[in-house]
Amino acid sequence: MVLKNMNDLKRLVDGGARKKLVLAAANDQHSLGAVIRAWKDNIIDPILVGDEEEIHTICSLNNYDITGVRIINEPDAEKSVEIAVKMVSSRQADILMKGKIGSAILLRCVLNKEWGLRTGNLLSHFALFEVDTYQKVIAVTDVAMNIAPTLHDKIAIVNNSVDCLNRLGYEMPKVAVLGAVEMVNENMQATLDAALLSKMNQRDQIKNCIIDGPLAFDNAVSLESAQLKGIKSEVAGDTDLLLMPDIEVGNVLYKSLVFFAKAKVASIILGAMVPIVLTSRSDSEQAKFDSILLAAAASR
Amino acid sequence: MIRTLEQMEKKVLVIKKKHRIAVAWAQDSNTINAIHKAVKRGFIEAILVGKPSEIRKTCKAEGIDARIFTLVESDNEIRASSEAVRLVKAGEADIVMKGLVGTDKFLKAVMDKEKGLMLSNAVLSYVCALEIPSYHKLLFITDPAVIPFPDLDQKVAMARYAIEMAQRFGIKKPKIALIGASEKMSRHFENSVDYSIMCKMADRNQIKNCVMDGPLDIFLACDKKSLQIKGVETPINGDADILLFPSLESSNPFYKGLMLFANGELAGLIRGTEKPVIVMSRSESETSKYFCIALSCLMA
Repeated sequence: MVLKNMNDLKRLVDGGARKKLVLAAANDQHSLGAVIRAWKDNIIDPILVGDEEEIHTICSLNNYDITGVRIINEPDAEKSVEIAVKMVSSRQADILMKGKIGSAILLRCVLNKEWGLRTGNLLSHFALFEVDTYQKVIAVTDVAMNIAPTLHDKIAIVNNSVDCLNRLGYEMPKVAVLGAVEMVNENMQATLDAALLSKMNQRDQIKNCIIDGPLAFDNAVSLESAQLKGIKSEVAGDTDLLLMPDIEVGNVLYKSLVFFAKAKVASIILGAMVPIVLTSRSDSEQAKFDSILLAAAASR
Repeated sequence: MIRTLEQMEKKVLVIKKKHRIAVAWAQDSNTINAIHKAVKRGFIEAILVGKPSEIRKTCKAEGIDARIFTLVESDNEIRASSEAVRLVKAGEADIVMKGLVGTDKFLKAVMDKEKGLMLSNAVLSYVCALEIPSYHKLLFITDPAVIPFPDLDQKVAMARYAIEMAQRFGIKKPKIALIGASEKMSRHFENSVDYSIMCKMADRNQIKNCVMDGPLDIFLACDKKSLQIKGVETPINGDADILLFPSLESSNPFYKGLMLFANGELAGLIRGTEKPVIVMSRSESETSKYFCIALSCLMA
């Protein structure tokens, strides 16, 4: 099964048990807006940790009705993150979301050795895009977290993402390892890593997906383009997941899709005990809502 | 498709083209006997470069009429090597062969930048066809003689030479197994990294006309039963035509072991030269030496 658009993501969680989402440093208008909408849509049960007074002020200013929502008052933002993370590690919540706090502080808490959400896996960013010009949603990793992943990191990033896609209903997601060209070129490390990842996939060292690469962006998403180049590949033209060579390429692609292609985007952090919604302030409320949706669908 | 060395010899006899072979320092009985057999079968003419008196003496001892050879006088092995190479370069011979001269001295003449026979920017390597009674066809191996530790570029060149040779034997799309100790890709094993890259190059038609897989151990490459037991999926399917080895120290004992313990015979040739170059070790059987000469005619 593949997801055609974000509505399909909604369908995945409809009717299921509502996930408990804990919003850390909850006194943040955009996050609250998205969380309350997801709550009203029966996707999640929110727990708000933060400055209670400020939370109420924001809600009344924006006409958010939060009657019945559990609030844990902690005016100190950093402490509120600690409380939220501990709720997740003690299994009182299924999803962690970042409110009005820097990403670095939140991640430091996530990685806390005693009460954090470590699994031994690398943390990586996973984004899902809905673009009118592609036949289905396309996942992209890593556009925001790992700067210059080594082969070892790339394996972990693929595993995180494939695990997530498997949970979204993709049995064998098609993974394209992106390069500037589809040929192997000794001077382009991305193409060499791509070859190694393909082989590891063939040998079942990376499971539950079909990997091919290097593929240039056009070959990865356009069958016509792949055929023109004479590429024989199960993945080319029908990619479910694009693996970026590094954060520069990933971030530019991400922003081009959003700004030029008007893509809808949902994104989460993978590799921790639970999905983490870690959207940036510049993300729209819609993007935050879709990210919550994605986290709920990807949550165990 | 040629399945035995005898079939190869027949093919050479059918071509009915007489090739002229210049032999450097052709004074030993080993060389002269092999050459003599090929001359008598009618597919070569031999120019023996060396001391005529010595050549005649050896011929007499072996009961061979020295008049069937063209003799060119030379007073030492280095000059004899240069002269034999010159004869080929000048078009007076088609093939050059090493006699009783050290391989390094002989190859120095072949590799001379101005007077030698190297193709520009080519990798000098060695491919041989092994006939092993317990294998159902010829097995080409590379490189058991020239490159001690091939790097990626050299491995690619070795693969291309072996494919080209196998094609001359009528195998349109030879199956080439890249040999390692295990079939897994590990970034700690440089050869498995190179092999994975090569497989992708074959996928992308950067290495043409072959079915390539590796790393594979020899069981997986040449034995269908092992394939089933291990459950490894590979297009080589236990039916390899070519084995590419990671080093001279793995390939050389492999073929010598087969010669000694499994009644193997071989025909081998230097690759990367404008014209065929025959180098044989003194310990090879006379039959193998004869087959080397026949092979050089097939490849000329």
